Amino acid sequence: MMLILSIIVPILWGLLILLIRDFKSRNALLAVTGAGLAVAAVLGVAVILSGDAELFLFSFGKNLSLYFHVDNMGRIFAAIVILVWLIAGFYAFEYMKHEKEEKRFFGFYVMVFGILHGLTFAGNMVTYYLFYELMTLLSVPLILHNRSKEAIMGGLKYLFYSLFGAYMVLFGIFFLNKYAVTMDFIPGGTLDMSAVLGHEGLMLAVSFAMIIGFSVKAGMFPLHAWLPTAHPVAPAPASAVMSGIIVKMGVLGVIRVVYYIIGADFLRGTWVQTVWLILTLVTVFMGSMLAYREKVFKKRLAYSTVSQASYILFGLALLQPSGLTGSLLHVVFHAVIKSCLFLSAGAIIYKTGKTNVDDLRGIGKEMPVTIWCYTIAGAALVGIPPLSGFISKWHLATGALESGLGVFSWLGPVVLLVSALLTAGYLLPISIKGFLPGADYNYSEITKKEPKLIMVVPLLILAVLTVLLGIFPGKLTEYISALIGSVL
Amino acid sequence: MAFVQNVPFFSIMLSMFSGIVSSILPGKWARRLNTFMIIVVAALSAWLFAFMATSDIGSYTYAMGHFPAPIGNELRAGVLEAGTALFFCIIMLLSLWGGREKQILEITERQQNLYYILCNLLLSSLLALIYTNDLFTAYVFIEINTIAAGGLIMVRQNGHCIEATIRYMIMSLLGSGLLLMGICMLYDLTGHLLMSNIKEQVDIIMAAGTYRIPMLITIGIMTVGLAIKSALFPFHSWVPDAYGYSTVSSGAILSSLVSKGYIFLLIKIFYRVIGFDTIAGSHILNILFIFGLCGMIFGSVSAIGENDIRRMIAFSSVAQIGYIYMGLGLGTEMGVIAAVFHLLSHGATKSLLFVSAVGLTDASGGSRHFTDLTGAAFRNKTAGVGFLVGSFSMVGIPVFAGFVSKLLFAEAAVLLPNWKMFPTLIVLAVSTVLNAIYFLKTVIRIYTPVKPEVLAEKGFECKHFKQQVLFGVTIVLFIIVNLILGMKSQPIIELIEQGLHNFM
Amino acid sequence: MSHYWILAAILLPIVGGVLLYILPFKNKKYMHSYVELIVIITSVITGLVLFKGERGLLEVVHFVNNLSISFKIDGMTVVFAGLIAILWPLATLYAFEYMEHDEREKSFFMFYTMTYGVTLGIAFASDILTMYLFYELLTLVTVPLVMHTLTREAIHAVRKYLYFSLGGAAFALMAMIFIIIYGDSCEFILGGVMHTAAEGEHAPLLLWIYLLSFMGFGVKSAVWPTSSWLPQAGVAPTPVTALLHAVAVVNAGAFAIIRLTYYSFGTDFLAGTWVQYACMAIAIFTIVYGCSRAVKESHIKRRLAWSTVGNLSYIIFGATLMTPLGLAGALSHFVIHGFMKITSFFCAGAFMHVTGKSYVYEMDGVGRKMKCIYACFTVSALGLMGVPGFAGFISKWNLTEAAVESGNGLAIAGIAALLVSAILTAIYMLGVVHRAYFPKNEAVTIENAKDPGWKMCVPIALCAAMTVILGLFASPMVEFFEKIAFGIY
Repeated sequence: MMLILSIIVPILWGLLILLIRDFKSRNALLAVTGAGLAVAAVLGVAVILSGDAELFLFSFGKNLSLYFHVDNMGRIFAAIVILVWLIAGFYAFEYMKHEKEEKRFFGFYVMVFGILHGLTFAGNMVTYYLFYELMTLLSVPLILHNRSKEAIMGGLKYLFYSLFGAYMVLFGIFFLNKYAVTMDFIPGGTLDMSAVLGHEGLMLAVSFAMIIGFSVKAGMFPLHAWLPTAHPVAPAPASAVMSGIIVKMGVLGVIRVVYYIIGADFLRGTWVQTVWLILTLVTVFMGSMLAYREKVFKKRLAYSTVSQASYILFGLALLQPSGLTGSLLHVVFHAVIKSCLFLSAGAIIYKTGKTNVDDLRGIGKEMPVTIWCYTIAGAALVGIPPLSGFISKWHLATGALESGLGVFSWLGPVVLLVSALLTAGYLLPISIKGFLPGADYNYSEITKKEPKLIMVVPLLILAVLTVLLGIFPGKLTEYISALIGSVL
Repeated sequence: MAFVQNVPFFSIMLSMFSGIVSSILPGKWARRLNTFMIIVVAALSAWLFAFMATSDIGSYTYAMGHFPAPIGNELRAGVLEAGTALFFCIIMLLSLWGGREKQILEITERQQNLYYILCNLLLSSLLALIYTNDLFTAYVFIEINTIAAGGLIMVRQNGHCIEATIRYMIMSLLGSGLLLMGICMLYDLTGHLLMSNIKEQVDIIMAAGTYRIPMLITIGIMTVGLAIKSALFPFHSWVPDAYGYSTVSSGAILSSLVSKGYIFLLIKIFYRVIGFDTIAGSHILNILFIFGLCGMIFGSVSAIGENDIRRMIAFSSVAQIGYIYMGLGLGTEMGVIAAVFHLLSHGATKSLLFVSAVGLTDASGGSRHFTDLTGAAFRNKTAGVGFLVGSFSMVGIPVFAGFVSKLLFAEAAVLLPNWKMFPTLIVLAVSTVLNAIYFLKTVIRIYTPVKPEVLAEKGFECKHFKQQVLFGVTIVLFIIVNLILGMKSQPIIELIEQGLHNFM
Repeated sequence: MSHYWILAAILLPIVGGVLLYILPFKNKKYMHSYVELIVIITSVITGLVLFKGERGLLEVVHFVNNLSISFKIDGMTVVFAGLIAILWPLATLYAFEYMEHDEREKSFFMFYTMTYGVTLGIAFASDILTMYLFYELLTLVTVPLVMHTLTREAIHAVRKYLYFSLGGAAFALMAMIFIIIYGDSCEFILGGVMHTAAEGEHAPLLLWIYLLSFMGFGVKSAVWPTSSWLPQAGVAPTPVTALLHAVAVVNAGAFAIIRLTYYSFGTDFLAGTWVQYACMAIAIFTIVYGCSRAVKESHIKRRLAWSTVGNLSYIIFGATLMTPLGLAGALSHFVIHGFMKITSFFCAGAFMHVTGKSYVYEMDGVGRKMKCIYACFTVSALGLMGVPGFAGFISKWNLTEAAVESGNGLAIAGIAALLVSAILTAIYMLGVVHRAYFPKNEAVTIENAKDPGWKMCVPIALCAAMTVILGLFASPMVEFFEKIAFGIY
């Protein structure tokens, strides 16, 4: 009951926001939105805490049913969804002031929250696919919000890339319908081996299609191009949740397919795994490289997301406990870190209007808190101990070394390392130049530009979380390990 | 011998004598006599037809005069003959009715009775061709037929018609000449002129295996002669002018009856003189088949390019004659049945088209060009409906006559044991499309409304049913004939089959 | 209920249509009520006869040998007749408003109503000759509708339509002859009617003939290479494009192909032969081709027409799987596509009617002004894309399920084609939705755009609602189709 409410209530709430013709004042809109987010968050948390609930909603055809099942994997994702969505939402209260048509933004924002609940709690492939499509469709308005030409193009690019991915997944689902015992998510996989016998080649192709399909959302090469187009044009809170959350839903999809439907054993050692590993490593390296060369701040962050999301996919592709642990940890950490980075970028844009990295000299003097938060998050993403990014990368590297996949067991860590250096190279100069603009900088023009509290607090929360998760990863790691035990 | 069996003789004589009587009557009375005569002959034929269809004698020969064959002359009648005679009478009557108004306008007062003399002679010769059992009689009546038909074309005296008549006469006489040569050679080979006697001799000759080549040439010459006369492709150059420019009744009669009479005779020669197996064994049929196919395509293609509605219908006749020869060329009984049925259905449809086309052109200031015909069906509704039905039948829409013949052709083709099946089916399909192109293009054209201002400017008038009762009734009767052929085809086909069996 | 009521259902609209032309009506209102009454009564009779009617053959006219005009009710009939019986009254209602400024409204409604009867004739036809008859009549009776505007474009379109359709029918006629000769009867019997002996001896020939007739009937459902008439025929008034060129006429083509494949030649005979692969390949190609052309097209109705081309080949693809599941899949798309596409055409027509514009790039921001219309358009777009929860997903699901189940190699390519077409559908449909709701900042929105009257909105909303309802509660329908396909119904 709680489960269905956590999905339906935000959707209806968002719809309500969209349908109400006029809010008396901006505050009324914010109040309604805030209440919506809060209620949704509370419901979500309640579901997370209330044990393994199952819900069979209804069936709209043979083998086609809406079925929800709360499991530990879902809980992890649900937790970060709720966290990031709330924080970015409140941040948006201030940020969206300088955009028009806020009502639409908040309406869709609240609706997508409900959809995300549906995704994280989905209990079978069809339900997952349904909510995945809905997420794509409903998140488009967030991206093209300001309706400039670029924004529309970015939105459409995002839409069509995502749909393309979704249809690759659908292609797989059609086959799973025959070759899997059930489409419910069951740790370890549900393939009907007697049916698959003789059709292994087909099944591998199908798995590959599904992996690629979900990876589109996670920005894996060669279908990563939507990320750098869509992010810079979207409002900052939207970029933050895109990178922090929506990209992760692609990851969750891959996890569900590989570990809960097809089964890691089926893929281990096949060409699918090899190709997948190669693609992820290429993406990791290429993303960092492109980010390094990019001058537009938010685009740079977008490329960084491309790279980092493939860290996660790399971990998944190892099909090995340590790698998976690293991936899941990185899911959490990256969500927190990247939201923090985007929100800082948004704060800078909001206050100064500067979008190019070269213009940001001395920014640290003007907005110290923001840039401190940025720096902490950036350092964490690079993987500097004891910040959180280090933990996940450590696990990923160990996973690779332990995997026994020949060339990948050493190539993987090397690429990760190089990419980490590049990450440092593209993230940290902004802080350095921001705080230490150099001798020729005109210090007299500095004015305090720190944004309002409602924007700073979310940044602070995220930065603190980055640190805390890095210092005390124990509980989380344990939780994840326990979960992995059942999957692998 | 029942009295009814005299009907063949009576009807031939009746029509011939009324021709003679007409020569001294004024035009109006000649017309009345002609109408009366046709109705009587039709009634007689119907009587005979009913008798033959119900009795079990199959067919009978009727000795003309006192002397028995081989010296005397013979007629022969069966259900097919009687039915065809009935059909010809009906179509002729309707064609004359439908074109009467036009014909009164187009032919001078003085020549009115002449026109009906020719009509009467034409009918008598057609009946003779149907009933005769004697090749030489057939030849004589063919000549009468040719002359009468030439007169029918020429009676409307303008340049086009005279030129058309000359062309027609030349081609037709060429055909008759060939036929005559054929008959002579056959006489040389067999020593007989009576069909049944020739048949016996031919069978003996064929069985003996002698005179193969002369026989082949004879068959070939006779066939080609009749083919020229019935306007088979590529001997059709006279058709568009002759059918297109003569007065409408003549056009309708020529295309629906005259050419069909020759074909009927050809079928009769095939069955009764040479023997169908002999024919089927020779290559003559293959030639007919190929020319038939070419005609189907070529006639339609020419019709598509035509801008004059009458000439378009004339070219369509070329295509339809192609169908008939294609059916004969298949060399199976099914093929011949289909050909005979098409003979009927095309006769009924083509005359309808000619007659209604005239209604349309009259409503368009006499212009026959498509640009002026726009919306003509609204100005003359009866003619519009007539043309619509005719077109549907030509295109092969079920419930109309044309569909059944197409069905029969295709069925015959499918059952073929040889290579002809695929060409037939493909050409049938293609020619259907081509038919659709030019007929339905015209239908769309005549049913496209025009603004009243434009009409007023061009001075076109509307014709209502009340102003043209006879025309309207004719069209309705034509449509009924068409529908009967289309919907009650089963008994007709059975009778054709029975009639062909009687031929043997 | 005696099965003579079938005749009533077929003849009522035909006679009613003719009477409409003859009767003098005092004003439009009377005429409209008369037309709607005729259509509704026909629908009611059809509904009753479908579910309560006596089963068995009703022979009306006997032609030659085993050829006759006769009717019966079987599963396929229920599907087709049921579909159009639901849609016709709605489309007629819509047409009243759409045609309100038209001068020649009377002749329009005459033929529009007559087409209903003729289409029912196809649905009720019990043998191939009867179907052929009504099939030809359908071509002819819709000609005046297509050329209603009498523009040069319309006349060109109508000629193309006519020549293509009649040409196709001529090839279909060939198949009919072969069925008459090599079949035990001409009746439609699930599993086919061919002699076993004939199959063995003349198999290569019969396969060729099947291909010919497939292409022949395929003309009506716009299978490549004869698909170009459909977008051209988009010049017709929208009620025609919506109901006839998205449902009745084009579905008649698919219906005929299904009849031919499953009920005349028989799948046992055809399955696994080269001809199956050839037909399937044609269908697959058409799917992709139609959708690609739709993406390129910017005239809204032509875009939808190209989309129809693609979607009809979904049905054909299902049919060419030649398994019962394939038939069930084909039937579900048969019905579902009808509802979805009629919705989108109605919406496009409403846009054109209200604003007088007809290109996609003129739609900037109208979604905010024509709320009801564009909400429904969005629903149909999502349906056509195959988003779960909307009807389109169900049919896609059934089709692909059948394709996977068939184990046919080419069918996998077909699945891929379905998905490619889904993404293309997303591009051409969501492109429209986007423009309507999220215009670029500098774009100018048409001033006078507003929702049309209830006569348009109600049919649109009902069809859109059906898209959603069928998407959520499809099980009974799909089970029914499976029953039909397995011959239990």
